[in-house]
Amino acid sequence: MKILMIGIKKETKMGREAILKSVKENKPELLPLPEIDTSAFQEDIDLVKTFKNNLVLVGGQIFEISTDGIDSKIMEHYPDKSSIVSTTTKSNLGNVIINKDTNPHTLEHIDLAIIEGELGVSENGAIWITASNSLVRALPFITNDLVIILEKRNICLHMLEAYDSISKRDRDFGVFISGPSKTADIEQCLVVGAHGAMSLTVLLV
Amino acid sequence: MSHATKATEFNKDESKVNWHDKALWYVREKRDKSAHNVEGWEYLRQLGSEIKANVLSNLDEYLVQFESNAQKNGIHVHWASNAKEHNTIINSILEKHKAKKVVKSKSMLTEECHLNPFLEAKGIEVVDTDLGERIVQLAEEPPSHIVLPAIHKTKEDVDVLFQKHLGTKPSKGNPEYLVGEARKHLRDKFLNADVAITGVNFAVADTGGVVVCTNEGNADMGVHLAKAHIACMGIEKVIPKEKHLGVFLRLLARSATGQPITTYSSHFNKAEDGKEMHIVIVDNGRTEQLSREDFRASLHCIRCGACMNTCPIYRRSGGHSYDYTIPGPIGSILSPGKDLKKYSSLPFASTLCGSCSNVCPVKINIHEQLYKWRQIIVKEEKQPIVKTSILKTAGLVLSKPKLYKMAGKSARFALKYAPRFMIYNKLNAWGKARDLPEIKNENFDDWYKKRNKNG
Amino acid sequence: MTNSTVKVGLFIPCYVNQLYPQVGIATLELLEKLGVDVYYPKDQTCCGQPLGNSGYEQDSKGICNLFVENFKTYDYIVGPSGSCIYHVKHHFDILEQTPEVKRVRDNAFELCEFIVKVLGITDLGASFPYKVGLHKSCHGLRGLKLGSCSEVKSEHFSTEEDLLNNVKGLELITLNRKDECCGFGGTFSVFEEAISAKMGKDRVQDHLDSSVEVVTGADHSCLMHMEGIINRNKQPLKVMHIAEILNSSL
Repeated sequence: MKILMIGIKKETKMGREAILKSVKENKPELLPLPEIDTSAFQEDIDLVKTFKNNLVLVGGQIFEISTDGIDSKIMEHYPDKSSIVSTTTKSNLGNVIINKDTNPHTLEHIDLAIIEGELGVSENGAIWITASNSLVRALPFITNDLVIILEKRNICLHMLEAYDSISKRDRDFGVFISGPSKTADIEQCLVVGAHGAMSLTVLLV
Repeated sequence: MSHATKATEFNKDESKVNWHDKALWYVREKRDKSAHNVEGWEYLRQLGSEIKANVLSNLDEYLVQFESNAQKNGIHVHWASNAKEHNTIINSILEKHKAKKVVKSKSMLTEECHLNPFLEAKGIEVVDTDLGERIVQLAEEPPSHIVLPAIHKTKEDVDVLFQKHLGTKPSKGNPEYLVGEARKHLRDKFLNADVAITGVNFAVADTGGVVVCTNEGNADMGVHLAKAHIACMGIEKVIPKEKHLGVFLRLLARSATGQPITTYSSHFNKAEDGKEMHIVIVDNGRTEQLSREDFRASLHCIRCGACMNTCPIYRRSGGHSYDYTIPGPIGSILSPGKDLKKYSSLPFASTLCGSCSNVCPVKINIHEQLYKWRQIIVKEEKQPIVKTSILKTAGLVLSKPKLYKMAGKSARFALKYAPRFMIYNKLNAWGKARDLPEIKNENFDDWYKKRNKNG
Repeated sequence: MTNSTVKVGLFIPCYVNQLYPQVGIATLELLEKLGVDVYYPKDQTCCGQPLGNSGYEQDSKGICNLFVENFKTYDYIVGPSGSCIYHVKHHFDILEQTPEVKRVRDNAFELCEFIVKVLGITDLGASFPYKVGLHKSCHGLRGLKLGSCSEVKSEHFSTEEDLLNNVKGLELITLNRKDECCGFGGTFSVFEEAISAKMGKDRVQDHLDSSVEVVTGADHSCLMHMEGIINRNKQPLKVMHIAEILNSSL
């Protein structure tokens, strides 16, 4: 094995072909891809309770309610919101109508967005949202506050299970959202509310 | 300047060293608590390591598969052999879109390629939108940590900086106020940007999509509001299957900050209608590192920064002492491959304690690679004459029992009887902060001989 | 282990021989008390670690070969130094792997590890009524796996603690940072002096803050470094190698 630091003749070819050629020449003997034994991660825990605890730990708030209590719960916690978007039939509070072609720049002043989540992960309080949940991709980020409605039965144990569930879907855009946006970049002081939503409320139905 | 010189400078302010050390140790402790709470954590690390090892051994096929799947979704895929090509490609995409304002979320690769100054020279405004990166951008400094770029700055430093550049009111470093002001300032940038540039945490071969992880939501705010998205990735970022994200996303944030996951893990597979998505795949020395059997595993790195948080030397010398895009233990095994001479002091900026290897989520044997780089550096780079002569002499003396006994005796004699001023002076680095050991009258050999004589 | 055909070669690290003979003496006496048939090869010098760690591995081959030559006939090689034994086990891969080299590498043991794992003994009948802080030297801890380390998720175990917990009157103190490096690192202590001294100072402070009276460990290189700082700053701490504590009785 020769290590040449200085004076190597530089390849004059660049780009795709050169890179792939260099990889082929320098890669090691094939090593096997491991099988993942998920039994190693098995835990007998209360998925909903763990999800709730973790969501609070990451700065969100969460309420377990019935579907007919959604709007009243939202109004209780966000009484002063004037521009509200709802992309779900489970809430009637939306007063700004959007569709998938809405220019995201027009959502700059949205106070509150109410969307549905497809799947929750108990180990980290994350919720999977796709472009079809938010209609406009920017919505969950540009809104000042975010409410996500999630069915309790759609909470799984950990990320490996989550990827199993979401594997058969259209691949466009999707995001795991775990709590409100935050930063600790100023002397490690945690501040909730950075560039994304300032708060996250999850309604478990 | 060597790491030692910079570290000595950093250590002149002991209270700052203590502050920096405690801040990072606290992150290390959060990592421990979070990681040890995961059933099967060590198995996850093993899986992470094996998946990455498989990737490197089949890298060309995965890259081609990734490109093909990305293109099927209308993504434009570009390849750059080096930093210059990377910068040129990005500039040409920006020119095509007549883009003058760019927002960029965290990408160590773009930092490595010095993209910002390249674009700025062409009259393009590039705003780093990760708060820590924005702070160092305004301060005109490089980041000192790959995950916590402004860890070396106090809140008072940030207060003064924001007063100057954002027009904030003096607040004695109130974090909520300063973050609130930064939000307003950067929101304006997001809304007016033409193109968004992001890094790539993971590139998924079987889907052609990329995953970007942030806590602030700045990658998404940039991408979803701009006309085009350019995602920059090193070749080693590719992973075989989307389900492997179930391993890596469990490892990444816990290792980095102790959070169970970043607030946002965004999966970009296809551009929005009417918008464009570009991916730039970059080599810039990575295939060369791939050729190095002893150092290849450094390419497993998922840029979590855990090695920096645990490294007792990094914590007490700061990221700027390494003078490389990526500091700390991982930086010390990546950089000599780029420029052995310039970074020859880095593999020696370590006691080889091994803590880094133990926190690494993908089990890179960092401490072993540091040891191996030392052998190469000594061979290829001229060492200080004092060091070479002492060690080569030691190599000779210690291999010959009689010589050794003589040397041992005379050294002990000298240390025992020489006056203090001869021993403790500028030449004696040990003696700057420490006393030398007290010299006994006999060594072990003498004692043993005596004991045998006496039966 | 009272099998009289088992021979143990005693390895005394070069700096212990020259500067801390009392550690060597304690080690030998301890092993003999435990009924071990101990031999001391007189021509031994060093394990080669100072050269290896400084990048002069190739120049250390003479030293390593001498080591093998001295110890090749023993069933076990035991030394009071985790870092030296780690070097023999891991870095003697630069030598041609003859049967002798392999035998030496496979059968080299750090002292505590030898007592607990090979002899199966944890109670040495020692007595040492003091508050003791244990410094878990890195090469022994993470390299030889003498104990569990704070980074890795695992059941707690510690070879040194097993021994110290059986010493009469000894109170083992918990430190704030359980296994942070002391900053010695061989030539690091000289070439990165500022950081080395600061790391040592912080380790010493941890012991002081935790009300330790005696600092101990299985590697005297770490202890030498911390003792240098303690003596310079006239701090109220004593430093003793674990072999000395285990060999003591009052």
